Amino acid sequence: MAYSEYWNPKNETMPREELQALQLLKLRRMCDWAYAKSPFHRRKFDAAGFHPEQLKTLDDLRRIPFMTREEWMESIFNTPMFGDITTTDHNHAIRYHLTSGTSGRTPIRVLDGTKDWDWIAEMWCYGLWGFGVRPEDSVYFAFGYGSFIGFWGAHYCCEKIGALVIPGGAQTTEARVKQIVEMGVTTVCSTPTYALTMWQKARELGIDLAKDSKVNKLICSGEPAGSIPAVKRQLEEAWGAKCGDTAGMTELGTIMIFECSHQPGGTHIIEDNYIEEVLDPATGEPVGYGELGERVVTSFGRGFIPAIRYRTKDMVMKVPASTCSCGRTWDIYDGGIRGRWDDMKLIRGTNVYPRAVESIVREYPAIDEFQIYIWRKDTLTDEITIKVEIKPGFESQWETLQRDLAKDLANAHEGLRFNIERVDYGVLPHFELKAKRLVDARPVAQYNQ
Amino acid sequence: MTTSTTDLLGKPLTEQEQELLNVYDALKKLAAQDDLPPCVARNVRQALASMWQATNDLDLQFEQLYEYGV
Repeated sequence: MAYSEYWNPKNETMPREELQALQLLKLRRMCDWAYAKSPFHRRKFDAAGFHPEQLKTLDDLRRIPFMTREEWMESIFNTPMFGDITTTDHNHAIRYHLTSGTSGRTPIRVLDGTKDWDWIAEMWCYGLWGFGVRPEDSVYFAFGYGSFIGFWGAHYCCEKIGALVIPGGAQTTEARVKQIVEMGVTTVCSTPTYALTMWQKARELGIDLAKDSKVNKLICSGEPAGSIPAVKRQLEEAWGAKCGDTAGMTELGTIMIFECSHQPGGTHIIEDNYIEEVLDPATGEPVGYGELGERVVTSFGRGFIPAIRYRTKDMVMKVPASTCSCGRTWDIYDGGIRGRWDDMKLIRGTNVYPRAVESIVREYPAIDEFQIYIWRKDTLTDEITIKVEIKPGFESQWETLQRDLAKDLANAHEGLRFNIERVDYGVLPHFELKAKRLVDARPVAQYNQ
Repeated sequence: MTTSTTDLLGKPLTEQEQELLNVYDALKKLAAQDDLPPCVARNVRQALASMWQATNDLDLQFEQLYEYGV
């Protein structure tokens, strides 16, 4: 059967003037909705002297105040459990997810209604169909299926597409690799790091995934590595498959960018459902095509928790749609998400903020000094180790502390495994001013290859 | 059933688009009824959520459905 190359040919190839008219119309309606129903947004709009009626052109977008993660967290802290950002009765929700917060143990908690949850899958449909997933495919999800939103939307997307979905939750890497081969899986969804881990395990088992499996598409998400040329090459050679990058956020519920099957070296922005601004992080002024800036996103999807001019701190470089030969009129983030403008670290798909780690570490009075050490194991897996110095006289607490601290940190970070390592007293640097307790020892990504 | 004859950008609806919008409106009307048995009420809402995607994708409507529990 001959399929369209696009999930939504009408909007994916829409002239940009029409696309922008559509964005303006949706922006007005979403701002109207947020102003009427979300105390959080009404308060912010009023404080900034903004009213949705002021939106006459797309340039008026800049009248809308930015929304920050810190404000959202403050709202959750002041109005547990979800803050006063929600627009409707929580009984309308059918789904709950969370992402780790910027400080302490309080996560960002999100709710979705039936329509929102289906929209989340719909955004993945744009991406996965665009990369070539079809009803004939068997799609394997190497994913934990927990409160972390991860590939949940992609799972339902593949059911919607009509592909055979094989959920690979709660299994060992060995079992997953064997299942991928046995079931004749054609598409694997995974973080880039875990895709390399599976490949390594396959080698140990004497399995050559490039020859012994039918996998021809590898869909990556959760880490920037899917668009880093060296990692992408390594993945494509290891699996004998095309590797496509996607990126999303729990704050939006789903992906906002995807790599199409033409693999232009970047990711198309789903511009009929989002406005993606790229701004100078210091001044808040727009930067042009080809310049690095901070992504600021407005979503037209999740009405339960509107995300309007949300500052993501993601580092991106926008280039015109014409950079790609696929025919879409949607602009591209060259190299996908390239990094962060703040100190957030992404470890195996989980957000880690050093100040959130510190606030938990400081709950243990036996710890004198500590260091957050991020490293790459066997050139494949990102690891996070908390090196701690125990105060003299508290040494007997070490074993209990090691266990409890690892558990507390994991609980505040969607189950992420933290290694807790004790070092001799006086080994770590001690600070009087401007403490620098984070060491990221991972290799730096190169994009110009 | 629906009074709209254009999409959100003011373009005339095709026959197919008009049919889609009619189905969407019919589902909304059903979802508003409060005497449906659970098997109907919940499946209508599932169907309405799906039709919201199709009609929103084609720029036929852009609205929220929480008042229908969707």
